[in-house]
Amino acid sequence: MIMPLIKGLQITLSHLFKKPVTLQYPDERPQIAPGFRGLHALKVSHENAKCVACYLCPTVCPAKCITVEAGEDANHNKFAAKYEIDMLRCIFCGYCVEACPVDALKMTEEFELANYKRADFTFTKDRLLEKK
Amino acid sequence: MVNLTIDNTQVTVAKDATIFDAAKSVGIKIPILCHDKKLHPFGGCRMCLVEVEQMKGRLIPACTTPVTEGMIVRTTTDEIVKARKLVLELLLLKHPLDCPVCDAAGDCDLQNLTYEYKVNCNQFSDEKFNHAIDYENPLIERDMNRCIHCGKCARICDEIVSYGAYTFINRGIEAKMGTPFDGPLSCEFCGSCISVCPVGALISRPFKFKARWWALNKVKSVCSYCGTGCQLTLGVKDNKVLTTVYDENQGFHNGQLCTRGRFAYQFVNSDNRLTTPLIKKNGKFVEAGWDEALKLVSEKLGAAKGSVGALTTAHLTNEELFLFEKLFRGTLGSDNIDHSAGYAHAALTEGAQKAFGTVTSPSEIADIQKTNLLLVIKTDAYETHPVLGFEINLGVKRQGVSLRIVSDKKGKISRLPGAKTSVHKPGTEIAFVNALANVIIAENLAVAGVAGLDQLKAALADYTPEKVAAVTGVAAEEIVALAKEYAAAEKALIMLPIGLGYPGHDAALAQAVANLAILTGRIGKEGSGLLIMGEKNNSQGAADLGIYPKNGGLKGAAIIDGAANGQVKALFIAGENPVVSYPNRKKVEAALEKAEFVVVSDLFLTETAQFADVVLPAVSFAEKNGTFTSVGRRVQQINKAVKPAGLAKSDFEILNDLNAALSGKRYGNVAEVFGEIAATVPAYQGLTLSGLGDEGAVLPVAPAAKLNAVAAPAVPAAAGKLALVTGSALYHSGTLSRFGEGPMYVCGDAYAELSEADAKALKIEEGDAITVKSDVGSVSLKAKVGKRLPAGVVFAPYHFADASINTVTDGAAVTLVTVGK
Repeated sequence: MIMPLIKGLQITLSHLFKKPVTLQYPDERPQIAPGFRGLHALKVSHENAKCVACYLCPTVCPAKCITVEAGEDANHNKFAAKYEIDMLRCIFCGYCVEACPVDALKMTEEFELANYKRADFTFTKDRLLEKK
Repeated sequence: MVNLTIDNTQVTVAKDATIFDAAKSVGIKIPILCHDKKLHPFGGCRMCLVEVEQMKGRLIPACTTPVTEGMIVRTTTDEIVKARKLVLELLLLKHPLDCPVCDAAGDCDLQNLTYEYKVNCNQFSDEKFNHAIDYENPLIERDMNRCIHCGKCARICDEIVSYGAYTFINRGIEAKMGTPFDGPLSCEFCGSCISVCPVGALISRPFKFKARWWALNKVKSVCSYCGTGCQLTLGVKDNKVLTTVYDENQGFHNGQLCTRGRFAYQFVNSDNRLTTPLIKKNGKFVEAGWDEALKLVSEKLGAAKGSVGALTTAHLTNEELFLFEKLFRGTLGSDNIDHSAGYAHAALTEGAQKAFGTVTSPSEIADIQKTNLLLVIKTDAYETHPVLGFEINLGVKRQGVSLRIVSDKKGKISRLPGAKTSVHKPGTEIAFVNALANVIIAENLAVAGVAGLDQLKAALADYTPEKVAAVTGVAAEEIVALAKEYAAAEKALIMLPIGLGYPGHDAALAQAVANLAILTGRIGKEGSGLLIMGEKNNSQGAADLGIYPKNGGLKGAAIIDGAANGQVKALFIAGENPVVSYPNRKKVEAALEKAEFVVVSDLFLTETAQFADVVLPAVSFAEKNGTFTSVGRRVQQINKAVKPAGLAKSDFEILNDLNAALSGKRYGNVAEVFGEIAATVPAYQGLTLSGLGDEGAVLPVAPAAKLNAVAAPAVPAAAGKLALVTGSALYHSGTLSRFGEGPMYVCGDAYAELSEADAKALKIEEGDAITVKSDVGSVSLKAKVGKRLPAGVVFAPYHFADASINTVTDGAAVTLVTVGK
């Protein structure tokens, strides 16, 4: 009866002398693991988004949070006239990145997505463009 | 019948079937890229290779090999799979892998087969094609880099459309699908080539990049333009109709469509649609609620009672037309109800009524290909009903049908193999047809014992070929020869297009041509008889449901006059646009201006709606359920594909509400009204909405044929004046197609077509601005010069609102005009 109690307190006691695991966020920053799935970014090549608006990401998205509208540019090429992700719906599964046939999408290490207004969680194409 | 074994399955098929057909009949799928069930086998893609026990040692193309008794076929062996993989590798050698940006992806035969056969690497390597892409055409985008040389586009254009816009040019690796002299595409823009293209080499430009194929919701419906009754599959996404999807198994036409069917759907989601009721206050339209608008309308209609005039378009569904009749003839007790200006349906409601005792034509569409001789009245049959035109093409080219045309001008069908066109002077159709009847009687070619033969003989005594030759300008021998040919044919079908563009195609002409069919005993026989082709998608339904004055009420144009002279106290116009399509625009405008109270329910604020006191927003065919009855009496269902625009309501709801407000019966839903139609309209007896299915039902007909002698009207003529005839442009149908974008890209302006001789004499060239002037008015149009017109004849289509041709016409079959620069 008394032995399990002592065993438990022993563990508690030992932790008093160990380095704490709690991170003093935001003063301390976490080390992001490789492959972490944070905020999406649209990759840029030759100063344009690589996205060709093939609609595979909205097709594969299980949360139905991606809205794409294709447009035709001056050279008759297809581009994403509208590319929006509703972060409130997104489940960060990364299927969109996996589905992309032209490697136009990636998931960054950015995880601080809190905001004040509902509308601010809709990430438009401008906000999603990769920052260099 | 032939018996054979395919993959251990016993198959019995007709002896003219191919291995491909036989396999298809038992559900065995053989992959193929160059075949469509409407086309002749081609054997170009080599994907359908199969193994035949009796022909071991090589693989046999299934699509071009006829079946033989006892054949043992295997469709998938290791060797076959290897061969098919090789074919795909060779195709992918040149085919660009731009599926992410290609609109065909998802509906691409090559993509599907590549996936199915797991072709994920290629043992060959080569450069891709570098052909220039045709971005210029507003409807059909051609990217020949994606072409896999199946030849389907060229074959469908040749075999079915009979235009021949494409052919292979160059040889070997240089070969590509090209246009004449590799120039820009200039064709009928029916888009059949797009529909059969197995890859994305030909795509619809209005639909380009709008949505991916798999994201579209496919809704089956029926086209709402002409009376052919083509079935459509609408591609819908986000409450918008974005395209029409090809389905080779739809309808008698196997998915084949014309320009307006394929490219003119945009009116459904147009930004110019009316979304709220409007009430005119102090000369300006003010937005109003439904309650206010309907209250005002029901008050005014209730006050006018029997002196209400009501015009509708034959675009409405049967159920809506039923309510229309119930409201105006039943509840309000007015017989002043009509559609299509009163003359465009007279061939059915008066002509067929007198000749056959029923308001329908006794033949059906299937008869076109079963006949031996087709007699088409006016080449315009092709322009008003293009898909029936394709049926004519197929009949002539595949079934060996002899084509004879009686027309005031030549047209596309005049160029079909063996076709003979008798070009008569405008407006002399009845004299011509009477002369044919005269010859048939005189030569004793009429069947014995036809009632009324003697009276007809006496009445037509004056229409001898010689006399009529002088009137029509067609040689007497030609008339005699045609009459003899017609009478001698085992089966003969007459096609008579009717519509707002053809005031001459009236009850008298219908009776005159019916006489021919009755005289020669063609009524009630397969592949024979008379097919009266109603102009609008539900012209036949409007005739069946009695949308015309029955007890001495005012007819279409007279209702307009009545509105001007006070005889009609309130005018209700459902979807009709009399300002543009009825004779004499100035008169119609003045009448609507003077009218005491005008209500218009329409999709758009049309030229007519501008004159209304109340405008009610109605919905298009894609936003409602119901049925249409097409040429050949086929009743088909339409299905709601998108939600109504804004606050718009269907005419069903509008008429139902008004009927209830005026203490008539309120009906529950479309099915209930269809049940009521089935119970009260004899031809629809026993039909149920759910029983119609995808194919629809052909209404029965029991014609009681009766000969009626009709006199040919005198044709006006004056020296130095040209004869103006109106009609339909190939790309348009009525005044609605103006709101569909496709037709406006290729035919956006009103024009007048002149013969080469007249153009030369008047020093007019193609594209010149010309003035056409008659006693009624004058209008400025773009000139078109055509080889098909005889000297002295001018042709103008009636669809356009700006410079509408009804500014110069007044409902006569022929209008005498002077043309100048």
